[in-house]
Amino acid sequence: MFYEKVAADSIAPMSIGAIGIASIATYPCLEFSVTTLLAPVSAPEGTAKPAPALAPGGGLRRRIALRLLALIALGLLWEVAARVLNNPAFIPSPGAVWRQLILTSTTHDGVRGYSGHLLIEHLGVSLRRIVIGSAIGVAGGLLIGVLLGTIGWLRVIAEPVVTFVRALPPLAYFSLFIIWFGIDETPKLWLLSIAALPPVAVATAAAVHGAPSGLVEAARALGAGRWQTVRDVVLPSALPEIFTGVRLAVGVAYSSVVAAETINGVPGIGGMIRDAQRYSQTDVVVLGLFAIGLSGLLIDALLRIAEERLIPWRGIS
Amino acid sequence: MSRDCPVSSADAVVLDAVTRSYGDVTAVGPVDLTVPSGEFLVLVGASGCGKSTLLRLIAGFEQPTRGTVRAAGVAPVPGRGAGLVFQQPRLFPWKTVGGNIALALRYAGQPATPARVDELLAQVGLDDVAHRRTWQISGGQQQRVAIARALAVDNPLLLLDEPFAALDALTRERLQADLRRVSAASGRTCVFVTHSVDEAVYLGSRVVVLTPRPGRIALDLPIGLPRTGVSDDELRGSPEFAALRAEVGQAIRERVTS
Repeated sequence: MFYEKVAADSIAPMSIGAIGIASIATYPCLEFSVTTLLAPVSAPEGTAKPAPALAPGGGLRRRIALRLLALIALGLLWEVAARVLNNPAFIPSPGAVWRQLILTSTTHDGVRGYSGHLLIEHLGVSLRRIVIGSAIGVAGGLLIGVLLGTIGWLRVIAEPVVTFVRALPPLAYFSLFIIWFGIDETPKLWLLSIAALPPVAVATAAAVHGAPSGLVEAARALGAGRWQTVRDVVLPSALPEIFTGVRLAVGVAYSSVVAAETINGVPGIGGMIRDAQRYSQTDVVVLGLFAIGLSGLLIDALLRIAEERLIPWRGIS
Repeated sequence: MSRDCPVSSADAVVLDAVTRSYGDVTAVGPVDLTVPSGEFLVLVGASGCGKSTLLRLIAGFEQPTRGTVRAAGVAPVPGRGAGLVFQQPRLFPWKTVGGNIALALRYAGQPATPARVDELLAQVGLDDVAHRRTWQISGGQQQRVAIARALAVDNPLLLLDEPFAALDALTRERLQADLRRVSAASGRTCVFVTHSVDEAVYLGSRVVVLTPRPGRIALDLPIGLPRTGVSDDELRGSPEFAALRAEVGQAIRERVTS
């Protein structure tokens, strides 16, 4: 096969982590959430600011050591399994997947990456779809959630609809979007948006509906109108739960993107995996899984950092 | 208070045969009560006598089942004409201390300048806290911020619902003294709810004792103690203070045991 002919010394090794960071840096909205929110939260001595969830020093180091150990053990287990079975089409060895990482990240013998695109391009296109789809879904979910949470009769009517859509597997309505919007970018973005919307809508509606009545009353006593109360009290108080909804939504978008890219999905990680499956290139399939999984971890970590910066009062009544 | 609030000659609050029921249970009433402008009225009674309900009726958060409530001559609406301080500070944790005050100013359509915010905080004895987070200051300081927030708007009426009940004794006494001073200086009408006899006699220019459920007026007592020009120790140590405290205390105990 074509990828076996490449000389290993012509290739600069690149870790998956570096790929993830490089591709995320191309998305200004994600970059924004990290860099602009780093203003330190000062907690003077003798105050009631709760201790950070992670104990500093020893505890953190032990956790990292434990995780590294688990990773190494898993890697060894994988290697052993691959050698015992000795069937690369069933379980490719870690080394084979690493070689694929290098091959798909470079141009060799006139072939550019995999299916004509570098791995980072596949990942970039998928991440772009995830970011746009999640953004639309989150915005829509927020709007619907606030409306459902504040208007009683609307909640009665629309809540079953949201629950209904939430229960549908995204692939089920993907066919509908293909019929409506063709096979290009539009149906994929629709799929991710609709998939990302319900978690945010449900979390927002519940949090807005359950806004602390004491604080709402305090705002009304200060002369706040209905809209001011929603903007200044209800939404901020709902922010922690909304953020949990956003993280769920991004997760759903992640799990849906591979499905969305099964049709005309190249470039895209889903398309890459699909092509690799057709030719039984199990190592490429596994590589695709790693790329999508590791970048997902990274984005979730970024969301968590943003959450800590944006909601310093989380856990304080 | 540097800013004078409008003091009309009319009565600040008028309750006319007010009853509030929840289902079959009558919580309050019937109560007839008139609060002249500038008075510091304290409603005192045992827990569950409906004194908080009475305050919520005056604030406009609840409507009477029977009878009428008038504040400054009209049916009360929350956020119009009355500042409110609750038992819990109820500060917004997503705003800084100064941000909480600024929000109140903005709702009232007043410029929320840092100088004005600092001025309001200084009025309740707080300096250099505007930038702090609400959970970074003590409970007593939080309640001071809540009072400053209620005072931010020049409402003629200030309603306080057991604002010092959750504080330790020392902090409570300090805040009582400050409130006594601020209210005397501002000339606002205050309606203050408490279950503490001592607090009632110390703060009030008039004390109304309520009976247990349903809450009715058991005793309506003017407090003739001087509002200014006398030290706290002198005041609390005076025989007049002791006599008034005994009278109010006895009225409450009679009603509870009967």
